[in-house]
Amino acid sequence: MTSCDIVLAGVGGQGILLAAEILGTAAVNSSLNVRVSELHGMAQRGGAVVSHVRIGEKVYAPTVLDGKADLLVGFEPLEALRNIKYASQRTMVLVNINPFKITGVEYPRMEEIFVQIRKFTKNVEEIDAAALARSAGAEVTQNIVMLGALAATERLPMKPSSLKEAMQELVPKKYLDVNVKSFEFGYGTIRDQLCSIT
Amino acid sequence: MLKEDRVGKRVLLLGNEAIARGVLEAGISVVTTYPGTPASEIADSISTVAKDVGLYMEYSANEIVALEIAAGAAICGVRSLSAMKHVGLNVAADALMTLAYVGVRGGFVIVTAGDPQCYSSQNEQDNRFYTLLSKLPCVEPSSPQEAKEMVLYAVDVSEQLQLPVLLRTTTRIGHTRGPVTFGKLKGANLKGELIKDVKRFVMVPAHARLRHKVLLEKVTQARKISEDSPHNRIVREGKGVGVITSGAAYNYVEEAVRILELDAGILKLGMIHPLPERKIAEFLKHYPKVVVVEELAPYLELHVKAIAKDVAPSVEIFGKMKKAYFPQFGEFSTRMVVEALAKIADKTLPINFQSIDEQFTEASKLLMPRLPVLCPGCPHRASFYVIKTATAGKAVMPTDIGCYALGIQPPLQVGDILICMGASIGTAGGVNRATGLDTVAVVGDSTFFHSAIPGLANAVYNNHKVTLAVLDNLTTAMTGHQPHPGTGRTGMGTSVNRILIEDVARGLGVKYVKVVDPFETKEAIKVLKEAIKTPGPSVVVFRAPCTLLVLRERQRDDLKVEAMRVTDECTNCLACVTLTGCPALIQTEEKVVIDETLCAACTLCMSICPYNAIKGGSQ
Repeated sequence: MTSCDIVLAGVGGQGILLAAEILGTAAVNSSLNVRVSELHGMAQRGGAVVSHVRIGEKVYAPTVLDGKADLLVGFEPLEALRNIKYASQRTMVLVNINPFKITGVEYPRMEEIFVQIRKFTKNVEEIDAAALARSAGAEVTQNIVMLGALAATERLPMKPSSLKEAMQELVPKKYLDVNVKSFEFGYGTIRDQLCSIT
Repeated sequence: MLKEDRVGKRVLLLGNEAIARGVLEAGISVVTTYPGTPASEIADSISTVAKDVGLYMEYSANEIVALEIAAGAAICGVRSLSAMKHVGLNVAADALMTLAYVGVRGGFVIVTAGDPQCYSSQNEQDNRFYTLLSKLPCVEPSSPQEAKEMVLYAVDVSEQLQLPVLLRTTTRIGHTRGPVTFGKLKGANLKGELIKDVKRFVMVPAHARLRHKVLLEKVTQARKISEDSPHNRIVREGKGVGVITSGAAYNYVEEAVRILELDAGILKLGMIHPLPERKIAEFLKHYPKVVVVEELAPYLELHVKAIAKDVAPSVEIFGKMKKAYFPQFGEFSTRMVVEALAKIADKTLPINFQSIDEQFTEASKLLMPRLPVLCPGCPHRASFYVIKTATAGKAVMPTDIGCYALGIQPPLQVGDILICMGASIGTAGGVNRATGLDTVAVVGDSTFFHSAIPGLANAVYNNHKVTLAVLDNLTTAMTGHQPHPGTGRTGMGTSVNRILIEDVARGLGVKYVKVVDPFETKEAIKVLKEAIKTPGPSVVVFRAPCTLLVLRERQRDDLKVEAMRVTDECTNCLACVTLTGCPALIQTEEKVVIDETLCAACTLCMSICPYNAIKGGSQ
């Protein structure tokens, strides 16, 4: 498969832009065509953020068509749901189960969120990225845990090693080790979860 | 990476970074800007390499100054570029309109970055209409690779015509990453020369009349360039339907035509002023139905209809005027174009969007909006708490463009009028004359230098009863922390004397000027109350650095932030939550808990807590 539509959804400050840039860089380094859409400025200040990564020879538009995502990554549950219209039965959805609460508003019940997500696709993998990032050494690397998880789905048209190489280009040296570790933890966890199904 | 001299190397670049690479490949030697989303990364990228490659860049005080600096250089034969957001061109428009008469000697590219959907803007004006007003040539890319190529092309056209050339982007061009192939670097050349020519460069009425005619002749020449331009081309041949498109909209058309398996021809316009009238006429003759696909206003459609009237009056033209299939607001998507083209070409939709919508409507019942908020630790939160407390809801509070626009949300709710940069002080004066109410006008530090100074001079001169609250976080935060005249740092990385806002205010003759630390809330409230009581204009500078800069510095020095702690004294009265709205304060059944990953230890909650139940903050 040489084409792949990915939607990364979360909250400003969760490191979605970095995750998207790593994916895009890995795609270019693997001689693929790619478009990565980002939103800067006002959109970044703790608001809902979404980045689309589209890989494929015939990709022009920066954003994914409704129902056409191959992969939807929720960096937190509610934001996964906010972007669920990009998913269909063939979409794999990966969700970091740690909610990012909204000040002054009651967060919906987790089970209800997942019930709604599962109405779009049965391929939903939950992952405790915060715990994995903590055990890797830095809670802020949850974004990289999710990137590792994404690589483990084997639905990306580039090799997991290309993502690690892109991380070397884009992550500051002093944080590289903990990021690589987080990537491995995310990768291992989802690979095991997927293996246990089949 | 940007300055790497490897022809043929293929890298992932943001559209704006691709424009910056184009600067280096075109030998552009002067780059100016006032930061604004979605244009900021162009000059920011240049700022990081300017010294090394020998070009001059500056963050100018505002867009018109930026344009004038670059125009001065281009008049002297030095290749230049000025980058700004769409509304920035409004600020620069006075210079632009007459610069079109004067022209340039070195290539001059003016990037104007539009924002359909207002992701980070106060309006979604369509800057393509500036081409009609100024008569200047304009190019519009559809991808990062094209964005780079069009910088070189624009420089070439600019030098042929001796006119500035506009390069128009939108959010989805400047903020989309894609593969870009490097071309050859061309060294900077700052050896300009002013060849005096009063009739050309000094626009007194007698000269301007003549230069207007020269400009019109140049438009004729430019149209010939446009007819032959490689950027105006038929990218797809077809029969039933012809599509004319440009910019971001082209990308959606390419995919929509494929999804619908349409037998459609596509004319992609990359040079959108002057338009290639003959090329468009030829295209119109081939199709009974022509669809114009463009975001925002019907700019292309107006022209296409005018051309059709003479050469193909029977062709049916679809767009957003009489046969309206597209909106004149917001940004487009592949889906929107698929749906419109399906209707026009009478095709059934291959995707059941309706069922996706129904399913999503059901799912979205659980959703609540997650709006952008002030960061935890943001000094503006403290300033707004102070302003709200000191005014007790009795003053009118016009606000301005920047992070402090986020203050309108509950619970802070500071901000009654917001129009454009620098407008808070002027509108406050008008409100006071019209109502007699006290006014507190909010402005930022960068915005103060950008456009609030004339407003403040006016307030002194005409004795307006306004209090200007300058929220000085020592940076241009919202657009990515660029320096400004109050920071003591330039875009070239050199240290210079800081211009202090309080000095400017005193120099302008403001009698009551004080600087406060917004986190010293009691003192700040007292000062602001005094300021409001002062007859005539007063200025209070709320000074504390942007928390993101503070945190970044601490991270660099490997210093941890010790989060605030809530002790057992907490009665769960929720004063901290309801008065500050800080995202780091989490409500639980028993007491408030502080999210240690978010808390920046700013101490605001501690200073508000009526039970002294919050401790910490050893900054």
